[in-house]
Amino acid sequence: MATNTTTVNGPANGAGNVGAVPRPSARRSGGGAWQRYVSALKRPRGAVGAGLLALLILAAVLAPVLFPDGYDDQSSGALAGPSAGHWLGTDELGRDILARTVFGLRTDISLLLTAVPLSAAIGTLMGLAGVIARWLGTGMQRLLDIILGFPGLILGMTIVLVVGTGWLALFLSILVVGLPMFGRQARAGLLAEQEREYVLAARVLGVRKRTVMVRHVLPNIIDPIVVNASVFMVVAIFIEAGLSIVGLGIEPPVPSLGAMLNTGARYVEVHPAYIIGPGLVLLLLALGFTLLSDALNKAVLRR
Amino acid sequence: MLHDLWTGEIMIRFLLRRAPSVLLVIAATSVIAFLLPRLAPGDAAAAAAGPEATTEQIEAMRVEMGLDRPLVEQYFSWIGGLLTGDLGQSLQFNRPVSELIGDRIGSTLELTIAAMLILTVVGIGVGVFGGSARSRLSRLTADATNTLLLATPPFLAGLLLIIVLGVALPVLPISGEVAVLDDPVIGLQYLLLPAVALAVPMSAGVARLVQSSMHNVWQQDFVDLAVAKGVPRRRISIRHVVRNSLGPAVVALGMRFGDMLAGAVVIEMIFARNGIGQLAVTGVQNADYNLVQVIIVGAVLIAVLMQLMTEIALAGLDPRVRLGA
Repeated sequence: MATNTTTVNGPANGAGNVGAVPRPSARRSGGGAWQRYVSALKRPRGAVGAGLLALLILAAVLAPVLFPDGYDDQSSGALAGPSAGHWLGTDELGRDILARTVFGLRTDISLLLTAVPLSAAIGTLMGLAGVIARWLGTGMQRLLDIILGFPGLILGMTIVLVVGTGWLALFLSILVVGLPMFGRQARAGLLAEQEREYVLAARVLGVRKRTVMVRHVLPNIIDPIVVNASVFMVVAIFIEAGLSIVGLGIEPPVPSLGAMLNTGARYVEVHPAYIIGPGLVLLLLALGFTLLSDALNKAVLRR
Repeated sequence: MLHDLWTGEIMIRFLLRRAPSVLLVIAATSVIAFLLPRLAPGDAAAAAAGPEATTEQIEAMRVEMGLDRPLVEQYFSWIGGLLTGDLGQSLQFNRPVSELIGDRIGSTLELTIAAMLILTVVGIGVGVFGGSARSRLSRLTADATNTLLLATPPFLAGLLLIIVLGVALPVLPISGEVAVLDDPVIGLQYLLLPAVALAVPMSAGVARLVQSSMHNVWQQDFVDLAVAKGVPRRRISIRHVVRNSLGPAVVALGMRFGDMLAGAVVIEMIFARNGIGQLAVTGVQNADYNLVQVIIVGAVLIAVLMQLMTEIALAGLDPRVRLGA
C-alpha cells in the first residue's frame, strides 16, 4: 500500500538508521515554526503542491454549490459518454460522473483532514509516553511494533471485520496505520533532545519534567512530525482507495474516489472515461501532498 | 564478511536477541486474529449457521466452532491446530482453509515474485540513472518521473495500463491468468501487466532512496581521493558509489514486502486474478472468520520475517553494520 515514504522506519534495533529525513535535532537558524512552514510555500514544489491542494479543497468545499443536483441525481441515461451536460458522462445509474467525482473528493478530504492529524497527535503522545514512566514508553513502542507488523491493507481488512464497512472503518484504518510512524519519530526525537544541554539546564533550574517536555522538547521535535504527516497524507489516500477498490470502502450511494474507481473498473472496456475523472483527481491530490511534503522537508529540516 | 556472518556465532546471537520482539509481534497478531470473530458485532455462530437456522442449529454450530468453551482453551486449541497444519474449515466454501490457500498461493507467489524482480531492477536502475545524471535535463527528467510515480498508487497504474494496453491497443490480456509453470509463454503475458502495475509505483520510493544516498556518497572523501588518483568517473561510480548506496534500497525492498502483499490484494481484484488477495476479500465480505484469521496471521508472519531477513542482508552488504552491535 505505502509506496512512498521519504522516511523508512529503520530496523527496530537501529541496526541501520537510514531514513532520508535527518535527525530532528538538526540545528535551525531563527524564525518560528510558522515562518519555516511558510517558507516551504516559496519553493517551486511547495507553491505548485499548495496551489493544487487549495484548488482541490476549494472544489470539495464548494461541491454542493457547483453541483446543486447532488451526487445521487439519476435523471439521465446510464453509462453515457462525455457530453455538454455531463462533461465526463454518466455512471451505471445515470448519475453525473463529474459531480460524483467532486463529492467523492469531499469524502476523501474529510477523511484525510480528520484521521491524519489525529493519528499524528495520538502517535506522538504514544512516542512521548516514556516521559511518564519508562515502562509505559517501552510498552507503547512494543504496541507500535505490533501494528507495524501488519501490512496497511491487511490492517484495514482486520478493522473492517470488527466495525463493518463504511466511513468509520476507513477513518480507523488510516488512524491506526499512521501510529507507528509518528510514534517512532516522536520517540527518536525525544531520546535525542533529552541529551541536549537546554533540557539539562531547565532540569537543573528546577523546571518540572512535564513542563520541560511540553514547553521545550515538543516544539523541537514537531517539525519532522509535520513533514511526516504531509507524507502520510498520500499513504492515507491510498488506504482509502485500496480498501474501496476491493469493495470494502464507503457505503453507496455516497461516493469516494476509491469507490468510484471500484465501480468504474467494471466498465473500463465500455466506458473508459468513467475512471479517468476520479483517477486523475486522486492522482492530483496525491501529487499535491507529495510536492508539499518535499518542500516542507527541505525547508524545515535541511536548513 | 559474508562468510563470517553466516557461520559465526554473531548471527546466532543476533537472532536470539531479536527473537523476543519478533515472537511478541507474531503472538500478539495471533491473539488479535483469534479475537476477531469474538469482537465483531453480532453472534458469529448465528452468522455462520445462516439466516434460516433454528436455535438448535445455531447452538450446534456454536459447539462445532468451539465457541462454548473458555476463551483461553479456544485460543490454544486454535493455535495448536495452526502449528500442526490444521488451518480449520472455511465457513463460506465449506472446504478446508489449507486447500483453499493451497489452490491460490501459486497465483499470488507468481505475482509477488515477478513484481519484486521488476521493483528491484527498475528501482535501482532509475535511482542509479538519476544519481549519476550530470546534465540538468536528465536530472530534472529523473526527478519529475519519480515524483509522478510516487503519487501513483499501484491500482491507478493498473487501471491506466488496462486502458492503454488492454482496451485502446489490445495487445495484452487484462483479466484472468494462466499459471506460468503450466504454459510459460501465455502465463507471462497474463502476468506482465499486473506485475508491472504492482512494481513500478513502488520502485519510485526505492529509486529516490538510491538517488539521495548516491548523492551523499559522491561527497565522501574516498570519492575525492579516487578522482584525484585519476580513476575514471564510470569506474568510481560503479565500484565505489553505487555499491555504497544500495543499503537503503535493500532495507526499503525488504520493508516494503508487506506492502507488496497488500498491494497484490488490490491488483488481484483489478486484474481478476484468483489469488490469496481475492480469497481474503471475499472472506472479509462474507465474514468467513476461519479463513481470514489464517490469512492475517500468515501475512504478518511473512512481513515480519522479511523485515528480519532485511536486517541480515543489510549487514552482509554494508560492513559498517554489525549484527552484534
